[in-house]
Amino acid sequence: MIQVWRRNFLFFRKTFLVSVFWTVLEPTMYLLAIGFGLGRFVEQIENLTFIEFYYPGLLASTAMMVSYFESTYPNYTKLVYQKTFSTMLLTPLNPNQILFGEILWGATKGFIGVCGVMFVSLFFGLFKMQIFMTLPILFLLCLVFSAFGLIMTSTAKNYDSFIFSTSGLIIPMSLISGTYFSIQNAPVLVKGLAQILPLTHAVTLTRTLLYRKFENSDIISVIVLLVYFVILAYLARKVFYKKLIS
Amino acid sequence: MTKAVVAQNLVKDYDGVPAVKNLSFDIELGECFGILGPNGAGKSTTMRMIYGHTLPKTGDLFVLGLNTKTDIKQIRSKIGVVPQDDGLDVDFNSFENLKIFAAYHKIPSDVAEARANHLLSEMKLSDHKYRHVETLSGGMKRRLVIARSLINQPDLLVLDEPTTGLDPQARLWIWNYFENLKAQKKTMILTTHYMEEAERLCDRIAIIDQGQILDCDTPAKLIEKHIGSEVVEIAVGRESSYWKSKLNSLKISYQDYDNKLFAFFSNQNERQQFIAQLQNIHFVSRTANLNDVFLKLAGYQIRSNA
Repeated sequence: MIQVWRRNFLFFRKTFLVSVFWTVLEPTMYLLAIGFGLGRFVEQIENLTFIEFYYPGLLASTAMMVSYFESTYPNYTKLVYQKTFSTMLLTPLNPNQILFGEILWGATKGFIGVCGVMFVSLFFGLFKMQIFMTLPILFLLCLVFSAFGLIMTSTAKNYDSFIFSTSGLIIPMSLISGTYFSIQNAPVLVKGLAQILPLTHAVTLTRTLLYRKFENSDIISVIVLLVYFVILAYLARKVFYKKLIS
Repeated sequence: MTKAVVAQNLVKDYDGVPAVKNLSFDIELGECFGILGPNGAGKSTTMRMIYGHTLPKTGDLFVLGLNTKTDIKQIRSKIGVVPQDDGLDVDFNSFENLKIFAAYHKIPSDVAEARANHLLSEMKLSDHKYRHVETLSGGMKRRLVIARSLINQPDLLVLDEPTTGLDPQARLWIWNYFENLKAQKKTMILTTHYMEEAERLCDRIAIIDQGQILDCDTPAKLIEKHIGSEVVEIAVGRESSYWKSKLNSLKISYQDYDNKLFAFFSNQNERQQFIAQLQNIHFVSRTANLNDVFLKLAGYQIRSNA
């Protein structure tokens, strides 16, 4: 598994600066435009300033987006066009090792994105020591969406197939998971829907760890994320194996 | 372990379409074994079963004494594969391709570097060590894939159409290289569409079609058994039926192809006697080869599904 991760790391190392720059640029623009720009017009939200409220949402959605994109398009190219996985499978590596190596890499890339955003946010006075406590949660979220990305990769018919999961799931999720607005007073339907989405739980946990006291009931959100990861990784195993071994 | 490969009653279909039907064969250690067949005959499916990319529906397959169903990981550590698709990692250069592949094999990096350097020089690729693989020529890519297949010092080489699409010089170079490996008693399994390649390299050849072995023997015996030693190609044009009845009456075996007849003779005397009778007709006389056997067994016609 680690050899597969290492292969991606070696490639990443070649384009390290460019890759990190573009990965962090987008969330930074959101931070400025939404967090500070729009946020100026919002008095308080869940007893926090808007930028305080939005920042955990931005970290979590960055984790989700970067991991998801890293484990879809590049992996589809490796699977279908470059036959990278078939080549790996000429060695003692088995499909599970390849899959989990890729899931771990996608999550690593998401985590690098999160760390990049945290670094940038230092300059805007958003740094707090508690931020280190959010890292395990954000990494777990990266794993969830990396596994999800590999399911999409293994079931895609072509590159256009990713539009379904991107526009149908990822983007809507980034909007209604308590990232931009509070779901506490949202209509029951929205609130209910948000509660079943993994991003909501990650945003809530990140926000709690940053500004609030961690209650026992928050464990549920951790469990939800873990369950999501286990289920998605299980499904990814099935579809990925079918793609590689006939 | 006495055999390199033992295949017993292999069956495989893809969504109900049969690819391999009850295939059985043995490959001895130190042997170069060829699998010939038209497109869609089941060659690649058989090869993929050996390295575990395809699982047989029924039947057993043992490679180097290990069962492909249970020991595929061990098998893959002991074999080298040149697949039809190069599968070179285009994100890296030649040297890195070998090193990364060696890492998948868990070969320590210092050993991997030494082997990669050695193989690159053996494959005449030392000058292209740091070139990105996408910029290499077809022949260079193929040589790099062969180098990659040897990085784990395999006991068995699986070569799936190793010279397809290469120019004659590149092909000749690769044949010579494989002949050297053969001299070192390296066990090889080869599929190819080039009869010359098979005749030159293989100790034994299985000709397969529609997932079944039509015959399996040494190239010389296959030619002798199915064709004889001499062939006369007669351009019969529209007079095909006249010539067929003539050949029938002379008890000469032949194959009919378009407006040509291929007449087969077991020795030069028979051929000379026959040629003496030919007047006012264009013909070519030559020795029999594996191509004749292949076409006779697998048929002369191209198929709608190939």
